[in-house]
Amino acid sequence: MAEVESSPLTTHVLNSADGVPAARMALSLHRLDSNLLLWNLLTTGTTNEDGRCPGLISRAAFTPGMYKLRFETGQYWDILGQTSFYPYVEVVFSITDPDQRFHLPLLLSRFSYTTYRGC
Amino acid sequence: MAGPSSPLTTHVLNTAMGVPGSNMAVSLYRQDPSTAVWNLITTGTTNEDGRCPGLITRNMFTSGMYKMHFETAQYWESMGETCFYPYVEIVFTINDPSQKFHIPLILSRFSYSTYRGS
Repeated sequence: MAEVESSPLTTHVLNSADGVPAARMALSLHRLDSNLLLWNLLTTGTTNEDGRCPGLISRAAFTPGMYKLRFETGQYWDILGQTSFYPYVEVVFSITDPDQRFHLPLLLSRFSYTTYRGC
Repeated sequence: MAGPSSPLTTHVLNTAMGVPGSNMAVSLYRQDPSTAVWNLITTGTTNEDGRCPGLITRNMFTSGMYKMHFETAQYWESMGETCFYPYVEIVFTINDPSQKFHIPLILSRFSYSTYRGS
């Protein structure tokens, strides 16, 4: 199997209420068109059993700019038969140096969440 | 000065520096359920304690989807620093507006947290 270059941008969704990865959560990555002030959809995906979603973006497509990762958290808790306070979570961030790696985890419960810039 | 307090409150904390997040521009929106348009309810600036009283009145606080918007990069830039997050928006659903809801933002330049308090 040939080597596939991994995405410079990764995420990891953790269900901190149940102490498990948040598997099968729909998410999407968007980049802001700074001229039109519109969000362009780049990728949609679903977290795997480990709460990760490989292949978010290629190195070539990862240019400086404003990005948004949107997590369908309400839908996730719905499927588990629970309500939650947040219908979705959007994390908006600025990339000035796309040569770096950026790991954006989401630590989530029904009534709280945390995110940070990792690498 | 008497007056009923807002059923929705916030508190911004700058955990990088161990201080309240004061002088941060914040705004509250409600989503119109038929058009999905976000309607601005209030704009304000956090006080010295990182709070912003008077976000909404009990009368106006109906069930629905709301959004708190925090101008985080502007806040860090006013202190000569950059921030990974140009702004933070927290979108939440209110089903029982007779309760009190506290939406804090615990913030550094490279991380943030929020939770539903009361």
